[in-house]
Amino acid sequence: MLAFFLAALLPWLYWDQGPDTAKAVKQAQIEQLYVPAGHEAVWKAEGFDARPLRAAQFVTVPAPGVQYRMDVASATSIPWVDANGWRFERGGRRRYYYVVDRGKATLAAAEAYAYGVEAVIRPDPQDLAPFARILAFLRGIGPVELPGLANVGIVDDGSAQTGEVMNLLARRNLMFHVVTAPDPRYDLNVQIGNDEYPKAEAANPAAFAAKIRQKLTDEKRLIRLFGSDVVLARLTGDDTQVRVHLINYSGRKVEGLRVRVRGEYGHGSLSVFELDKATLTDYSAADGGTEFTIPEMSVYAIVDLKK
Amino acid sequence: MERRAFLQAAASVPVALAAELHQDLPHYRIVSRFPLSEHPGMPGPYPGKVARVHAEKSIDAQSEKVDVPTVRDMISQGMRALTGDADSRDSWARIFTASDVVGIKVNCSGAPGIMSTPEVVGEIARNLGLVGVKPEQIWIYERFRDQVDSVHYDRYVPAGVHIWTAEHSRGAIRGYDPNTYAEVNFFGEDDTRSNLARPVSEQFTKIINVPNMKDHGAAGVTGCLKNIAYGSFSNVARSHSGSKTNTYSFIGTLASVEPLRSRTVLQIMDGLRGVWHGGPFSPNRKFRFYPKQMMFGTDPVAIDRLLLDVIDDKRKAEHAISVWDRSTSNVKPGHGYDNNPSINRFIREPGHIEYASTLGLGVYDLKKIQATKIEI
Repeated sequence: MLAFFLAALLPWLYWDQGPDTAKAVKQAQIEQLYVPAGHEAVWKAEGFDARPLRAAQFVTVPAPGVQYRMDVASATSIPWVDANGWRFERGGRRRYYYVVDRGKATLAAAEAYAYGVEAVIRPDPQDLAPFARILAFLRGIGPVELPGLANVGIVDDGSAQTGEVMNLLARRNLMFHVVTAPDPRYDLNVQIGNDEYPKAEAANPAAFAAKIRQKLTDEKRLIRLFGSDVVLARLTGDDTQVRVHLINYSGRKVEGLRVRVRGEYGHGSLSVFELDKATLTDYSAADGGTEFTIPEMSVYAIVDLKK
Repeated sequence: MERRAFLQAAASVPVALAAELHQDLPHYRIVSRFPLSEHPGMPGPYPGKVARVHAEKSIDAQSEKVDVPTVRDMISQGMRALTGDADSRDSWARIFTASDVVGIKVNCSGAPGIMSTPEVVGEIARNLGLVGVKPEQIWIYERFRDQVDSVHYDRYVPAGVHIWTAEHSRGAIRGYDPNTYAEVNFFGEDDTRSNLARPVSEQFTKIINVPNMKDHGAAGVTGCLKNIAYGSFSNVARSHSGSKTNTYSFIGTLASVEPLRSRTVLQIMDGLRGVWHGGPFSPNRKFRFYPKQMMFGTDPVAIDRLLLDVIDDKRKAEHAISVWDRSTSNVKPGHGYDNNPSINRFIREPGHIEYASTLGLGVYDLKKIQATKIEI
């Protein structure tokens, strides 16, 4: 059961290069992969657990990343982040397929893993090595089967408008769950179209997300990030522990990220992709929150907090 | 009372007074473990007192070559006029001891066109040495590494003096103290904290503030207050958006945060060069001018009050709109502000200096400012 669980959570490689590349794939220590339908036998003969990719079984998602708007010189402008977390929250346990350009394979893998979705990633062939490295990293982390944490419930009417609101909530690290009806377990329920959240207001999703933040209040936010506007978070946890997934969409190192998590946790541990001996600094648990600094992070960091 | 609550309560009274000047102030939450000092460095022992030294020979306006002996004399006479001592070494010894770890807050935002003049900074380091402060106890600091690197202060100060910047890459927060910050939401930005540079809270016992005489598109002018405030905290550019800037209240609020306020004990306004339009940057030499003067004091408000007139007088002489012009019709972002002194980029907030006086940072009223003029 554990092995299945592991296999289900780790992203899969889609490899459409010829079998002459089998040696390179083996050297990357990748044993399971998707290949073009009809090619699986060849790859199986090479010793791989090869499966045919049938596109209809997957939801294709856009490549994640950041669009810097260098022509806009305003100090307060923040880059546009292309992220799929809101799609995963909305879409539930589907299977997802990424096609990503060079340099984005690790980001796609981190994103899929953070949201616990089954994903297949077609990297640029030159990214085989970094893709293999992040798989090794994720294997080393080990799964913790914890539910996603959120304190905003958003009633999904299936519209693109609601989808964009979800996107911007995720962009602001406002943790939400998709619900079918308002649920008192959440600090805030959002149903677009009712008196409190008119559709006309949702037409400006940025302002609408700001309104939701204001209504929730920053004090009640489950997580806040300081020092980067290109890192998005996902939280999983229960009464005794929280796992904080931090995904850096920028493609550049983040030098210092201050994190505040709601709730006081006595101990924290940090794992950062491609950074050995990473430790949390300036740790404190007081006043209803836990704060720490991640001194440096690459594309992905995981923080485990325990009471 | 918990320390944080204490500091907020202490700040609330002057903010209430300031509200009479400006009604729609943002809500600030100050977090600091440092108590308010009984005798804070700002305004220090000489509130309202400014020693103003002008020396025609201090800098050549054509070559921008600095005359070091003249600068040495300016600093000596300025310090003596400030403290009343006959020997400038006694003046420095009133403020610094051999055990101090001294931060020199330079301003390099306009570098390499204008910055805290390296010859001036070198002289400051030399004077610290005369009272026993070892080079290893002196830290030149600024926020952005790329700007400081362009100046090469290391060529002007004794070996061993540290040159420290908070952000090796823009936006990096490792150089800031996570436990000392001002929290405020100006425009709905997600990162609402501005943190104090780490060495200010963790290493320095005293700070010397060395700003330049510059026009500033948002704050009206940038002098002592803005250099020590925006130059010591992270994430401050968020205070401007569209035509609106919150420099009016943010500058004084940041300058008041402990321990910055207590540890900043000397203000040396370096006005050898100046910028009369387009500041704080200086990509265009045609907006640089040469006041050839320095101001000395412990009161940043008094010096900045005098700076306002220096910049505004120069702008008037150049037929530019006043630093006090707040008309929205003149705010034309994207219309070549950097090259056009007849328009503004933001609604300027030169009132930030008067606001800072309401926080107890110094004397704003010209009638109460004792300015001593010295001509060399």
